[in-house]
Amino acid sequence: MLSLDRVTKKYGDFTALQDISIDFSDGVHALLAPNGAGKTTLIKMLTTLIFPTKGEILWNGDEIVKLDAAYRALIGYLPQDFGYYRNRSPREFLHYMSAVKRIDCRTAKRRTDELLETVGLAEVRDKKMKKFSGGMIQRVGIAQAMLNDPKILILDEPTAGLDPKERVRFRNLISALSKDRIVILSTHIVSDIETIANRVILFKDHRLFANDAPAAICATLAGKVYETDAFDAIPASCLVLTERRDESRTITRFMSESDCTDAAKRVAPNLEDVFLCIYRDEVIA
Amino acid sequence: MDNEKREASIEYILARGLTAPPRARRIVRELLCDLGPRFIFWDTAYGVVFGLLTLAPLLAITALAPETLRYSVATAVAPSLFLIITVFAETAERFGGLYELKQTCRYTAAQVTALRVMCYSLAGIVYSAVVTLLCFEEGFEFASLLSLCLSALFVCAALSLFVLRRLHGRWTGALFAAAWAFVNIAAPYGLGEGWERFLSGLPIAVSAAVALAGAAAFAYQTRKMLTEGRSYAVA
Repeated sequence: MLSLDRVTKKYGDFTALQDISIDFSDGVHALLAPNGAGKTTLIKMLTTLIFPTKGEILWNGDEIVKLDAAYRALIGYLPQDFGYYRNRSPREFLHYMSAVKRIDCRTAKRRTDELLETVGLAEVRDKKMKKFSGGMIQRVGIAQAMLNDPKILILDEPTAGLDPKERVRFRNLISALSKDRIVILSTHIVSDIETIANRVILFKDHRLFANDAPAAICATLAGKVYETDAFDAIPASCLVLTERRDESRTITRFMSESDCTDAAKRVAPNLEDVFLCIYRDEVIA
Repeated sequence: MDNEKREASIEYILARGLTAPPRARRIVRELLCDLGPRFIFWDTAYGVVFGLLTLAPLLAITALAPETLRYSVATAVAPSLFLIITVFAETAERFGGLYELKQTCRYTAAQVTALRVMCYSLAGIVYSAVVTLLCFEEGFEFASLLSLCLSALFVCAALSLFVLRRLHGRWTGALFAAAWAFVNIAAPYGLGEGWERFLSGLPIAVSAAVALAGAAAFAYQTRKMLTEGRSYAVA
């Protein structure tokens, strides 16, 4: 198990994360928060790129900094800005990454072929990556992260810049890869994780706000979310969440602490409602 | 601490076993075996080629330098091969977009860099000998000039590794090279003949001692870069 024990990260006077304690077990853990909330800071600490100012990060009881190379051999990481060698093919790139991950030659060749098949790039395995789309590059990224069959797969904003079709494909891929390993996925796009996350972790004001199953997080708004096509009937004290077009009508979704069943229909809350409620100031700003 | 806690602690330590921290020599051996030259110098060709191209004018300057500035020019130019290749290759690495990812691998970018820098320093020694030969004329003491060149090379190499380890900015290497070049140009200009006299008058024992101390400092910095976990942090 991977655990954060009262971890704080400061940059000078600025506190990026304060007193965070989380236990990660097998399954998909989604870090969901607006940009600048500290997701990437946490990811970088989990990948040992930066170190906590206070507290410690433990893998099965051992501090990851002390485990050093043994810990790095356990992780697969896809950074937010995934650079790649434009003039190399995915196969060459994966062979290189296998070498720096200390995977022997024979295993590297087998894993490369398997993974290129898994991510749907087998047909372009020898094409230079400069001709690849953003989605294809991200798939090369996930393949390199999976080379060492990691116990901990860490993905920082993996769907940023992908079109909807690629996003769905990527979601399915992550879901398939999440068996028997910890997958930590950071995103600010709710739909990326709604269907695949086992746990959703929310930060607010640089502290841990929630760490629970999506259904339990949605349940915090149970009975408080409504929909109506009569915008004027919504009480002023309510928080308008989203609007959508339904044939000729505009349906407004809102949150109210008081009963509004006379003016609107009560609906089941979703993760996006919770996100908009918690981060109302940041999202509006 | 009561007996029960003491027993539990002993049991815990015994269960984990005692593992020696990795030694630099073992890491170098493993890196050489697992990566080989192809992956050690992977994607550094541009840096090396640009580095070698900029050396041609430097060698010309060395060969054509007036006799009154031979020691100053030799010590300024001796570390240039090491410095230029290191700066080009490592700055390109840090700008490459894969630096962060490589830092999270079993062999970090810092460890591979350390190994590359060791290779560059070997090339630097040969280059220093070439520079010494270019500057060598009747009336100059070959051993004295060579030990001065090696002093400059190793001090520069040790300082550059120290800076690369401590400062993680993308321009760190380039800024260090600029500062080193500035000091080496400013010294003969600022101090005039005094700087040349100082260098030529330095006893060979002193310059050899500086070269040895520089080499030891360089070896220490390389070892740190290979073994120190925190040296691979990006911020």
